[in-house]
Amino acid sequence: MEGIGINLPLLVAFVINFVILFGLLTLVLYKPVLKILDERQAKIKESIDQAEQIREQIAHSEEQIKTNLDTARKERQAIIAQATQIGERLKEEAKEGARNEAESLITKAQAEIKQERDKTIDELRQEFANIAILAAEKVIKETLDKGKHSKIIDEILKESTTFKRN
Amino acid sequence: MNKGCSTRIIAIIGIALIALLLAGLVVGPIGSKMLGIEPPSFIAVHKPHVQLPSEGIFHIGGFAVTNTLIASWTTIILLVGLFAACTRKMTLIPGRLQSLAEMAVETLLNFIKGAAGEDNARKLFPVVATIFLYVITNAYLGLIPFYGTIGIREIKEGQEIIVPFLRAPNTDVNVPLSIALFSFIFIEYWGIRSVGALKYINAFFNFGQLRDSFVSLFKGKFKSFFSGIAFGFINIFVGVLEVFSHFIRIISFTFRLFGNMTAGEILLLVVTFLVPLVASTIFYGLELLIGFIQALIFAGLTMVFGVIALTPHSEEEHS
Repeated sequence: MEGIGINLPLLVAFVINFVILFGLLTLVLYKPVLKILDERQAKIKESIDQAEQIREQIAHSEEQIKTNLDTARKERQAIIAQATQIGERLKEEAKEGARNEAESLITKAQAEIKQERDKTIDELRQEFANIAILAAEKVIKETLDKGKHSKIIDEILKESTTFKRN
Repeated sequence: MNKGCSTRIIAIIGIALIALLLAGLVVGPIGSKMLGIEPPSFIAVHKPHVQLPSEGIFHIGGFAVTNTLIASWTTIILLVGLFAACTRKMTLIPGRLQSLAEMAVETLLNFIKGAAGEDNARKLFPVVATIFLYVITNAYLGLIPFYGTIGIREIKEGQEIIVPFLRAPNTDVNVPLSIALFSFIFIEYWGIRSVGALKYINAFFNFGQLRDSFVSLFKGKFKSFFSGIAFGFINIFVGVLEVFSHFIRIISFTFRLFGNMTAGEILLLVVTFLVPLVASTIFYGLELLIGFIQALIFAGLTMVFGVIALTPHSEEEHS
């Protein structure tokens, strides 16, 4: 063994050397590099997951937008239909009102005309009575007193008006 | 035009190299013996002096600090310094130096993962990677010119030799032995960790069958006693073999690396002596390959034994 140089103190020194190298390399090489490799792997995985998630989200929101648009379109159509209906109704109501007013105006006018006519007739009758009395007075002066005379004429006229009105 | 130029340069370099090789052959010991000429003294290389034990350079107390120990410290300082510089500022987006460290770790880790699987790889990695880096750095540093050339002149056995300050650590048997011991200790540790200390030791000293056979002797079952005692002794013998095979690993680890590295060193010395000048360049290339292969084998075998130790083989024992 001496021939090839196995030497216990030297061997111990080399073992210590190797252990020191082992420790130092673990400290400065393996631990930090493995840590950073793991970190990077985790980061890449996270990024991929995130991208996947974002893609899913985008698909989801697209779908939502589509449904929103659909409901909006439906609502719009409903509103238009309702508005048309309301317009129709308003038009109808306006027509109805106009017709009613016209009718009431006509009725009122007719009533007024009738009233006017009655009044004129009354006035005419009064006038006529007076003229008749005046005439009668002139014709038969002193034969009859004015009161009696007027009474007779009134009676006659009354009969005649009743007859006329009916 | 450009291409022609570079071809011509390559041709000139080639011719120069061949000329240097031939000159080396002529003026070296082979040529000078055959032609009977005296080579010029500045080319003459000392006769290779093979010294297996490492030489002490200075002493601390009674302990001789050898040139291989100094070289081993150099390796450690170089490795730790390089990787400490690489991993000083770790960021998720790596810089150039950090990429170097990451590449080293990832390559080794993937190599281990390929054989050991994802779970075991993390356990085996620090030991295997350290062995690989230490062995390959020792081997490659031994090839640079400062190693084995600069040193103290000494007269030994009537011959002037140079005791170098630095010598490739792998050529000192204590270095491979220290790595082998380290590897052995970790392999046994993994074995104990994976199955438990009692069960692990029981695989080596398997007296169970023998004891059972004596139990059956007392019960009067002679047939089972005789078959049991035969298998009992076989089990003990297998256990002894197993113990030997584990200890043999230390020796095979040690001498595989020591032998290869020392042989490589001697080969370089002899080639340089026989054919001076450029011939040894080829063998330097060979030594680069051998250094890499030896580091890979040492680390790889440690890994394989580690995987065997970590894989519980309880299935085999149910018999």
